[in-house]
Amino acid sequence: MGILILSLFLNGIGLGLVYAAVAIGFSLVLGVSGVINFSHGIMYAFGAYFFWILYGKIGFWASVAIAPVLVAVIGFIIERVLIRRVYGLDPLFGLLITLGFSMAMEELIRMIFGPAAYSVSAPSFAKGVFILGDFAYPYYRIFIALFAAVMLAAVWLLVERTDFGAVVKAGMFNSEMVGALGNNLTLLRTSVFVIGAALAGLSAIIAAPIWSIKSQMGTLILMPSFLIVLMGGLGSIPGTIIGGLLVGVSTALATLVIPRFVDIIPYLLMGFIIYFRPRGLFGEQNIVE
Amino acid sequence: MKKRNKGSFSWVVLFLVAGLALGLTGSQAYAQSKEPIKIGVVSPVSGNYADHGLLERIGMEMALEDYGQKILGRPVTLVVADDETNPDVAARRARRLAEVDGVKFLMGGVSTSTALSVGAVAEEKKILYIATNQNGDQVTGESARHYVFRTPPDMAILVRAGAKYVADNLGKKWFFLTHDYSWGHSGTKWARNMLGKVGATEVGEIKVPMGNRDFSSQLLTIRNSGADVLVITLAGFDNVALLKQMNELKLYDKMKVWYTLMDLVDMYAVPVEDRQAFICAETYYRASPEMEKLNERYMKKYPKLASPVLDTGTYNGWLSIKMLFEAIKKAGTADDVEKVICAMEGLTIKDNARKTPSTVRAWDHQLLTEVVVGKVNPVKGNDILEIKALVPAEGVARTKEENPINVGCKK
Repeated sequence: MGILILSLFLNGIGLGLVYAAVAIGFSLVLGVSGVINFSHGIMYAFGAYFFWILYGKIGFWASVAIAPVLVAVIGFIIERVLIRRVYGLDPLFGLLITLGFSMAMEELIRMIFGPAAYSVSAPSFAKGVFILGDFAYPYYRIFIALFAAVMLAAVWLLVERTDFGAVVKAGMFNSEMVGALGNNLTLLRTSVFVIGAALAGLSAIIAAPIWSIKSQMGTLILMPSFLIVLMGGLGSIPGTIIGGLLVGVSTALATLVIPRFVDIIPYLLMGFIIYFRPRGLFGEQNIVE
Repeated sequence: MKKRNKGSFSWVVLFLVAGLALGLTGSQAYAQSKEPIKIGVVSPVSGNYADHGLLERIGMEMALEDYGQKILGRPVTLVVADDETNPDVAARRARRLAEVDGVKFLMGGVSTSTALSVGAVAEEKKILYIATNQNGDQVTGESARHYVFRTPPDMAILVRAGAKYVADNLGKKWFFLTHDYSWGHSGTKWARNMLGKVGATEVGEIKVPMGNRDFSSQLLTIRNSGADVLVITLAGFDNVALLKQMNELKLYDKMKVWYTLMDLVDMYAVPVEDRQAFICAETYYRASPEMEKLNERYMKKYPKLASPVLDTGTYNGWLSIKMLFEAIKKAGTADDVEKVICAMEGLTIKDNARKTPSTVRAWDHQLLTEVVVGKVNPVKGNDILEIKALVPAEGVARTKEENPINVGCKK
C-alpha cells in the first residue's frame, strides 16, 4: 500500500507540473491584459496537432522547437485581430470572444483532421519504465515532469529577473500606470499573449505522447487551467505552480479512495480556497477587481 | 326508353365516379411511390464517439449503394443530425427530424444514453428507430419500446460469450475498469454476474467518467491490485489514451486484458509500437469472399480513415440499413410503420459475416448475432483478429425470465 501511495503521489507531482505548465500562459495573459483567454485551450490543441504533423517528418526535438513558434504566430494574429478590441472592457467580452473563436477553431480542426483521435509515441530516448519492486513509473513521464519544471522555472526567471519581467509584473498590478510611465502597453500585451500561446503549444507537445490528440482536447484542458489560475491567484507564477500541484496530487491520491469522483476534486479545492481567500493562494487581486 | 336512358346515365356516372376515384387513388399511389423515403440518422459528429459516428454513417452509405439508393422503387435519402454524444441533444435532434423533416425511420448513435432518449422520441412520434451501435442492456431491456430495434448485441451476449474463455485461459482474479455511464455499467454488471459461474473472483473496480484523458493513477492502482485479468468496458477517445497508457505503464507484464467489447478503430489510433495483445468480443469478422469485397470497397473508398479494416461500427451501420430495407420489402410498404415493425420481427438476415444467420427476436427487438471472441494481435495491417471462439447469440442472450418484457406485435 505504501508503494502504491508513493507511486500515486509522484504521479500527482508529475501531472501537477504538466497542469501548471498548461495554465501558466493563461495566468500571464489574465494578469497583464485582464482577458479571460478561453482561446488558450485551442492554442494547446494547435500545438499538439502541429507537433503531430511535424514529429514524423523532422523528429522530436525539431518539432518541439518549431511547433510552439507556429502557435505563437497564430497567437500574434489573434491578438492583433480579436483580443486587442476587448482590452479595458468588461472581462466578459474577452471571455465571449475567445470562447467563440475557440469553438470555431475546434470545428475547423475537426473539418481538416476528421473526428478521429490520434496518438504519438514517446521519443526513443525516453521509452521504457523505471521499475523497482512494485514501484513502476515510465521514463517519459519523468522526462515531461522535468521538462515542465524547467519551463516553469524559465517563465519565473523571465518575469522575476529581467526588465521585461519587471514591466510585466507591474502590468499585472496596474497596466494603465505602466502605460502612463512611457512603456508601450500595446506591445507588452501583445508580447505576453504571444508568449502565453507559445507556452500552451509547448505544454501540449510534451503532453501529446501520453494523452491522445483530438479536436476537443483544448476544451477539455481549459477548465482545469482556469481552476488552477483561480486557485493560485491572478498572474502569480508560484500560485499557478502550487495550484497545478494541488490538482495533480489530490486527484492522483483520490483515485485510491473515491476513484469515481476524482473529477470533482479540483472544483472542491477551488471552492474551498476561494471561500477563505477570494484572491487565490498568492493573488493580489481577484478577477472582478 | 327514358328509363333505359336514365339507367345508362346512372351507369356512366357510376363509372365516372369510380374511374375518378381509382384515378385519384392511382395518382396518389404513384405520387407516394415516387416520394423519397427519408431516414433520420442521429449520430455523433462531435463528442467522445465522433469517429465511431463517422464510421457508422459510412456503413449506412455503403448499404444504400448496395440497394441502388432505392427501396420499393422509391429513392432513399439519409438526413444526418449530430447528437454530440449527448442524450438531451440527441432527443432534440430526433424530434426535429420527425417534426420538420418528416422522417418515418430513425437510426444511428453510439452511446446507450442517446439510444434511450431517441427511443423515447420514436415512441412518442410513432416512428421506427434502429439503435445502430449501442450495447447497453437497457435499450432492449427495461427501456425496450415497440418502436425500437437494436442491431449490435447487448452486453449480456458479449460478456457471456467471452467470460468462460477468459476464466479458463487468462485468469480468475478480475479487476473491472468501467466507463461511468449506462453502457459501462452493463458490461461490468454481466461480468460480475458470470464470476460464480466461471469460478472467478472480483478484486476491485474503478469507474471513470467519460472524457478522462489520464489513466495513470487508475492504472498504478490496478497494477498493484494483484488481479490477473483487467476487464475493461470503456470506449471512444478515452480508450485511445487508455490503450497507450496501459503499454506505457507496462500493465500487460502484470496481467492480461479483456475488453468486453472493442471497436478496433480505437486500437488503430494507437501507434503500432504501443499496441499489445488482448482478448475482446467482436460482432463481425471477415469470414467470406463477400465480406472481403465489402472491406475492399470500404478501404478503396475511404483510404485515409484511421481504421484500415471495416470497423464494427461501419458494419453495424451497413447491417442496420439492410435490416430496415429487408423489413420494408417484406412489409411491401414504407409508409405504414406498424407493418414495417411487424415485418422486422423475426426477420432473418444472412449477411456472410457470420457462419450462422442473424435473427431479429420479436419480443425484445434484439438482433441475435454470432459473437466472435478473439485475440487482437498488435501487428500493423488488417488481419489482426485471431479467432478463439464463435458463440451463437441464442445460447448467451438474456432469456424471457431474465428480461421479462414484450414489445412485439403479438402480445
